[in-house]
Amino acid sequence: MRGFPPVGGEPSKDLETNAAMTSNNDKHMVAPDVVLDFLKKSLPFKELEPQVLESLAGRCLIDFFPKATVVFKQGETEVSHFYLIQKGGVKIYLKDEGGEILLKDFRGEGEYFGALPLIHDSKANLNVETVEDTFCFLFEKEAFLQLVRSFPAVSNYFLRSMSKKLVNTVYAELREHRMTPRTESSLYLFSEQVGQIVKGKPHTIAAGESVRRAAARMAELHIGSLLVYGENNDIIGIITDKDLRTKVVAAGMDYQTPISRIMTAPVEAIPAHAVCFDAMLAMMRRRIHHLAVEQQGEIIGVVTTHDIMVLQGTSPIYLFREILAQRHIAGLYGLSRKVPQVIRSLIEEGAKANNVTRMITVLNDHILDRLLTLLIDELGLPPVPFCWLLLGSEGRREQTFKTDQDNAIVYADPQDAAQAAAAEKYFAVLADKAIEHLVACGYPRCPGDIMASNPKWRQPLSVWKRYFDQWLITPEPKDVLHSTIFFDFRDGYGARSLADELRQHLVDNAGKKDLFFMHLAKDCLEARPPLSFFRNLIVEKDGEHKNLLDLKTKGLVPFVDFARLLSLKFGIRESNTLGRLQLLAEAERLAPDLYRESVDAYEFLMHLRLVHQMRMLEDNRQPDNFINPADLSDLEKQTLKEAFEVVRRIQSSINLEFRLSDL
Amino acid sequence: MKISNLFRFASQVSPAPLGKSRLFFKELDQQRPIREYDFVVYDTELTGLNPRRDEIVSIGAVRVRDLKILVGETFYVHVKPGQALPKNSTLIHRITPQQIEQAPVIRDVLPEFVDFCGESFMVGHYVGLDTTFVNRALKKHFGSALYNPCLDTLRLAQAYREMCWEQYHDRFNMSVSFNLSDLGKEYNLPQFAKHNAFEDAMQTAYLFIYLVKKMREHGVVTMKDLFNAGRSWRWVF
Repeated sequence: MRGFPPVGGEPSKDLETNAAMTSNNDKHMVAPDVVLDFLKKSLPFKELEPQVLESLAGRCLIDFFPKATVVFKQGETEVSHFYLIQKGGVKIYLKDEGGEILLKDFRGEGEYFGALPLIHDSKANLNVETVEDTFCFLFEKEAFLQLVRSFPAVSNYFLRSMSKKLVNTVYAELREHRMTPRTESSLYLFSEQVGQIVKGKPHTIAAGESVRRAAARMAELHIGSLLVYGENNDIIGIITDKDLRTKVVAAGMDYQTPISRIMTAPVEAIPAHAVCFDAMLAMMRRRIHHLAVEQQGEIIGVVTTHDIMVLQGTSPIYLFREILAQRHIAGLYGLSRKVPQVIRSLIEEGAKANNVTRMITVLNDHILDRLLTLLIDELGLPPVPFCWLLLGSEGRREQTFKTDQDNAIVYADPQDAAQAAAAEKYFAVLADKAIEHLVACGYPRCPGDIMASNPKWRQPLSVWKRYFDQWLITPEPKDVLHSTIFFDFRDGYGARSLADELRQHLVDNAGKKDLFFMHLAKDCLEARPPLSFFRNLIVEKDGEHKNLLDLKTKGLVPFVDFARLLSLKFGIRESNTLGRLQLLAEAERLAPDLYRESVDAYEFLMHLRLVHQMRMLEDNRQPDNFINPADLSDLEKQTLKEAFEVVRRIQSSINLEFRLSDL
Repeated sequence: MKISNLFRFASQVSPAPLGKSRLFFKELDQQRPIREYDFVVYDTELTGLNPRRDEIVSIGAVRVRDLKILVGETFYVHVKPGQALPKNSTLIHRITPQQIEQAPVIRDVLPEFVDFCGESFMVGHYVGLDTTFVNRALKKHFGSALYNPCLDTLRLAQAYREMCWEQYHDRFNMSVSFNLSDLGKEYNLPQFAKHNAFEDAMQTAYLFIYLVKKMREHGVVTMKDLFNAGRSWRWVF
């Protein structure tokens, strides 16, 4: 018999027996999921094996600290536990001898404190105070130290290095969570109507014309088919490349044969409101490549298999071909809108931000190239050689989806006044038209009017050299701003030698201009890393502040500025930020670890921005650089914070290098 | 329910069957700071609310020491009731008849639970209900009941709310809820799944350490203070 005797007896003995019997049923030993799940989401614990995590979770204590509790007191508190914040937030600050408070950091959910005193076996080195009601998971010193000793990933993490592995985890998570998993191309097939992709009125030919005339006309128009009309001007058939090949050439038929003998009749047609998928099916079913598009009994155009493949647009190659095939500038207008589709598939396949921006740049360059080529066909050749300069992010090959135009024209110095006048007139027209077309292509105007259409930025080479000299020798604040845009120039179209000469001039003259570098270096320190952003992050949960983070100015610009500053200083000709950093590291102008961390942080920030903009585009919103920290996962927040830590480090290295603190 | 029962000493009918705890609690010193006492925060799921007819189907508990939740010291079991599991109760706690088929019966579970509770204070949300069921089962099978004093987080929450009253009309705010999950939301605590004995016990434990530490700002330091806070409760409903 088990259990307690009703009265008297030896209850404790029976209790033990019963405990032993029921403890086979081990359910009560399971550590609560609340801790385990949290650890699985938090760095660096998520990197650990499940069994390690489970045993760690089982040793956890949960503690609560009301708002404004001082958890650690600098120099006094013996730290006995490692603290992981489950809910709430803390501020970390130093008090110097004068009692002055120096705010160091804010930490929120998923972040920790107490690691360093445990690792160094010292008293609390900083003050930690809760800024909200805060729940923490506590791990005993021994358990924590054992973890640090046994797992390099953990010790690395707490020694605050941006390890590659962690960064890769972040990318994977970004791809997974920030991108709606779907294949754009297939959706396009189902949403786009055939009528919308028809490229204008169909080209036709009379049934009585010869096949030679038909072939000549198709060659002239760069098309693969013609619709054939009969005596009443009705469309009665279609003649295609394939007909010419198989029914005429291969069969040895006379080229004077009338079209009516070889045309395919009647024409296979599809209603304009059918979706592209139907068109594709119809063509596959009938093994044909052309379909007439019909609207209210009238043929309004022709669609081809090629049109539909291009529409799918997931392969950049199709887009290239499409750009190169345009024979009218208006044909380019719609193409830049296809860039996001191409880019999405690249991101889905795991391309890093740097590859992606380079791809965007190449596509945009192609569009520009085609546009200017067609424009010059229209206007006639320029009186003197010129080069279309790309500036700012375009110059650095770091374009994303939101790219204002930043461009300029440099042309060869004219021989005489007549040539000068002709050049001025010609390039004014060229620039105005080009800018108009670029706007139509979806590249907005530069709000600061740094465009070739502004006469100031449409000058002969000698004037450009003078501009540059002036900015270098007597820098005004506005000049420093200009230099950050213009000194990132590269050639976009035309005579590359002009751009090269200008670059050489800059490299030869920049190196020793101390005053200029002082201003530029100071400018680099303008963008304070947003440490307060994390405080707002904490406040934000109370629903009081709508706080957005400007990824561009706070995150990316400091890296771009840093790379530009050092490149100008040390005569690096490259304009791309990552390229500059690499050349600087190779020339041993940049410490290897700072180089590596800068690259990781910069790529992460670019990636975050790209994915953000991609989502905005897909939601039919105008892409911008503002992210809402609340939308980020803990891991992304952590990594973002690491990236800002790198910003702080590069800024202090600028401070040292250019002795700004001595001033 | 009587107001003075913030401490609800369980039934005193039976003589000394559950070990030394009766003596221990009789001589309890209430003057020490709250953090020096051990607590077991617990919750049960039931087949229904009638203590004469219904039974326990699961017990979840977690220990609180030094006002910290000990994640490694938890207790969670399903219990096979003597009767078939009523469908309408399954709809609440989501324990299905299949799940408890292999579970031990209450008689085999109780000794271990009593052992787990030891000399701790018992804490629960509307703890009177859970204690009634546990003690009824204990008396039925072992002839005695738990002597551990109980603390009700529902009453603590009411007492805390009173402490926070700043203006006279605050007390007439009828929209307040003392439901466990509503309190969790109001105080911005981590949220747990409802109607699972263990998750509810965890939720209650969070609520408990939250309330006790928040009440410290209002001068509640010793166990006696906590007791008085409950007693001075001005009942307005």
